[in-house]
Amino acid sequence: MYGQMAAECPGFMGVQTLVSDDCEIIRLVLDGEVDRFAELIARYQQHVTKITNRHVSSDRVAEVAHDVFVRAYTNLSSFSGKTPFEHWLSGIAVRTCYDFWRSRRREELPVSALTTEHQAWMDHVLVAESDDQFREQARRREAAELLHWALGHLSAENRLVLTLVHLDGYSVRDAAGLLGWSLINVKVRAYRARQMLKTLLLERMRQEDDTTR
Amino acid sequence: MTRRDNERIGKVARVLAEVHRARHEPSLGADWSLRVMRAIRLEAAGQGSLRTALRLDRLVWRTATVAAVLALVFTGSVLLYTTGDAVELTALMSSEFDATGSLVE
Repeated sequence: MYGQMAAECPGFMGVQTLVSDDCEIIRLVLDGEVDRFAELIARYQQHVTKITNRHVSSDRVAEVAHDVFVRAYTNLSSFSGKTPFEHWLSGIAVRTCYDFWRSRRREELPVSALTTEHQAWMDHVLVAESDDQFREQARRREAAELLHWALGHLSAENRLVLTLVHLDGYSVRDAAGLLGWSLINVKVRAYRARQMLKTLLLERMRQEDDTTR
Repeated sequence: MTRRDNERIGKVARVLAEVHRARHEPSLGADWSLRVMRAIRLEAAGQGSLRTALRLDRLVWRTATVAAVLALVFTGSVLLYTTGDAVELTALMSSEFDATGSLVE
């Protein structure tokens, strides 16, 4: 693998200095200069934080980002250099977030129930018309809690695909590449996850309609 | 699902997507990268000892193979060259004689 990476990396040189620098650092790390890995951490810390922040709650970002870099180090010899290191690292970050939710699912964490405040918030959203009104509602605490509640009802797979495809706006192909799953699997999951979210929200709305009657 | 339902869900989903995009990025703290590097050094040390253990493991198995071959060769040669002696020895052991008898009758 190392030899393969060494052969692939020069292809990037001259095109993107940063990428060739990455390859040089990786070569040194694989040769035993472990401390050089700190340079990769400094370079991609923000990128990894950005990805993990989209998938896990902000109080768990540091922990998950930590795991991402340790995982990247342990798998460094499998980095072929065919794609930029940043892209390779993004895949590891997304898969680490997936593992985080898989392990959380096993713990059977209770999902907090919604209150009348959330129902009132939904009422405001439903009467909103302008972009400003939507943005105003998005800034409210209830909005984040409702999103947390809805995602908490999904499996780790559906949650991740829904976040990547419907919330982050990745294409199905890109999401499949990041997750290391087949295109059809991501397509099916994206559809199912969207349907599940719709059903969840519809149930809430119907409950709300029943209580206001 | 009616058209009205779809419209209502669309509105809520739109705001939820907005919430997701506007997520505040947390700061990881000053010693976060130091902690990561500490974990990586531990991992590197672990990998090093694992590599040594694997090498030792391979050496043990190779030695075991050589030892087994040598044992077979030794057993074979013993069986081959000591057949006559073994017969004599068996005869000696089976014949009744008084080893403790006096030398002079």
